[in-house]
Amino acid sequence: MFALAIGLTAIPPFLRLWQGPSLWDRLAGASGVNTRITLMLATHALFSGQELLLDVALAYAALGFLGVVLVARFGEGGAG
Amino acid sequence: MIGLGLCGLGLVLLALGGLGLWRFSSPYSRLQGAGVGETGGTLLFLAGLLTYTGQVDGVTILLLALLLFTGPIATHSIAKGAFVRGEKEQP
Repeated sequence: MFALAIGLTAIPPFLRLWQGPSLWDRLAGASGVNTRITLMLATHALFSGQELLLDVALAYAALGFLGVVLVARFGEGGAG
Repeated sequence: MIGLGLCGLGLVLLALGGLGLWRFSSPYSRLQGAGVGETGGTLLFLAGLLTYTGQVDGVTILLLALLLFTGPIATHSIAKGAFVRGEKEQP
């Protein structure tokens, strides 16, 4: 039930990801969807009792954050 | 009961952050709205989840700390990139 509620809050960032005019809106949407997915993973892990999923949520949060930052840095300068 | 309240508050913040991300006019205000809403909402929601289910284990607290730190950093890097690329501040 909690995971479903989090899923509903994931709709606006996904819309922004879809039609955001500039790259930066899409990145903000991607970051939003990432945090909501990790929350869904954490709720499912805690409620269904599978503790392993928490580590998956941890890894997903770290990698999602890394991806967003790298794309932002790439979009910023490219040559760097 | 407290856990439910915290979770509800976190959900409200997440929904408001998402609404801000969707309705604001310029990329910067969208970023600010989303960043603040997400980080606060995530913090409250995870804290509520911990108190609600009562299983307080190290990984969840680590997850909470990670999300608490990485949220603002991600928003900052996006805003810096947008600024460097000369994204105009529409009214």
